[in-house]
Amino acid sequence: MSSETKVRKISRIEDILNNDVWDVDYEPHIIVDYTKCKNCEWKPCLRLCPAECYTMVGDEVLFSYEGCLECGTCRIVCPEKAIKWSYPKSGRGIHFRFS
Amino acid sequence: MKDIGQRFDAIIIGAGPAGSTAAYHLAKKGYKTLILERGRVPGSKNMFGGRVYIEPLKEIYEDFEKKAPIHRWVKKERISLMYDESATTIEIESTKSTSFTTYLTQLSQWMANQAVEKGAILLSEIRVDKLYRENGVFKGVVVEDERVLADIIIDAEGINRLLLEEAGIVERLSPDHVALGVKEVIKLDGKNINQLFGLEDNDGLSWVLIGDITKGIPGGGFIYTNRDSISLGIVLMLGEAIKRIDRHIYLLVEEFRNHPLINKYVRDGRIMEYSTHLIPEDVFALRPPKLYYNGLLIAGDAAGLLLNQGYTYRGVDFAAYSGYLAAKAYDYAHNNGGPTEENLREYTRLLENSFVMKMLKKFSGVSKLMKKERLFKTYPELINIMAGKLMHIEYDSYKIMEALKEAKKGRVGWISLIKDLWEVSRKL
Repeated sequence: MSSETKVRKISRIEDILNNDVWDVDYEPHIIVDYTKCKNCEWKPCLRLCPAECYTMVGDEVLFSYEGCLECGTCRIVCPEKAIKWSYPKSGRGIHFRFS
Repeated sequence: MKDIGQRFDAIIIGAGPAGSTAAYHLAKKGYKTLILERGRVPGSKNMFGGRVYIEPLKEIYEDFEKKAPIHRWVKKERISLMYDESATTIEIESTKSTSFTTYLTQLSQWMANQAVEKGAILLSEIRVDKLYRENGVFKGVVVEDERVLADIIIDAEGINRLLLEEAGIVERLSPDHVALGVKEVIKLDGKNINQLFGLEDNDGLSWVLIGDITKGIPGGGFIYTNRDSISLGIVLMLGEAIKRIDRHIYLLVEEFRNHPLINKYVRDGRIMEYSTHLIPEDVFALRPPKLYYNGLLIAGDAAGLLLNQGYTYRGVDFAAYSGYLAAKAYDYAHNNGGPTEENLREYTRLLENSFVMKMLKKFSGVSKLMKKERLFKTYPELINIMAGKLMHIEYDSYKIMEALKEAKKGRVGWISLIKDLWEVSRKL
């Protein structure tokens, strides 16, 4: 089936992100208030965080800051303003080279 | 909190195009200038679509076109309307060029180096935590528990402008005022690129694609040829994307890369980097109420100084030019009694008299067009269906009006079509 071949060519986000370089901070630069998060049915962070830092595990949002590309999207799309966001400290975080 | 011993004439926050250009011109005039950059090196937190318009940069840097890291000169422009597996494309080819492709990471480093060569001090891996204000006057910046003081602070911190928000100058960004850009840089041999796109030597291609690449969400796809790679990505108006996106955003980029009309260009490549950034869109809505305060000037994306012309962005030249004017404005203020708000108002005067504000005003209607679904969904559909009727001839052939009538059936009425055409031709 041609549609299957097409789907197979789509890479997984993990594989795409593997090409990037980070110097991960010890402390997270993003803090999610999960109590606010629970009230949100919409959860635009799940689809709009380009690095897929937000995923659903069961009926809860799981967040990991390690693969963050520091665009700031999650902070402004969160309807509950549940995301406390700063840039990683001193040289840590994403390190773009060819963009 | 302790003050570090040294005092500077100017502290620049962010070594992007705006910050480094400001630093370059301040240092050139002999001001003691400090650039603070949170990345490991300038540019490491920065990304863009892929193209820079050169004319303003030639004015503000010496020998820019000879020395800057230019990959390819854009001589071929394509604009495609996409629907399903067809594209209707306008191609404009010329022997002349006013824009080039590059990596913003490289160009940012180059600009910061120019500033350093003129005597500016660059400190990387320094994240500014706070602007320091005393009695309503900005006097320095706070880094961890240290304070660095200067006569002027030039805030070129970028689109998220966390520092301005913390200082109470701006509100949190609204998704309705920005777009989200996501791109893959794909490694390809330079000769291969030339062959695939019909280019010679270091000629380049810029390609904008509108239509179901973004599943009808206002925005578009883009492709730029670099020296030995291709930048491929999408831009979505974020406020519209929140309401309408039906899959993960990275999948839109992947589906675009795998589109049968696109994949043939990139299938021999491999992804080198994946990056993303917010882009100012409704610049009059998002920009700070003023760009000058006692002891503070705001430049580049933080000031909302980026132009969306509908089919192209002008970010780097606008940002750099605003940094250049910020340096000029400080020089003026310094020579007229100091960087008071009154004196620094010169910055706004300079901006208003330059192409920066003139063009932003001229294209101020574009951000409204960017919310019109019909332009991103209905018309690309209609035009491709119409072209299909004209070109895919079996037994019966169509006349143009007949094909148009058929294509618009159930999609859009004559009145809406004429109104939209009028609106687009006025705003673009």
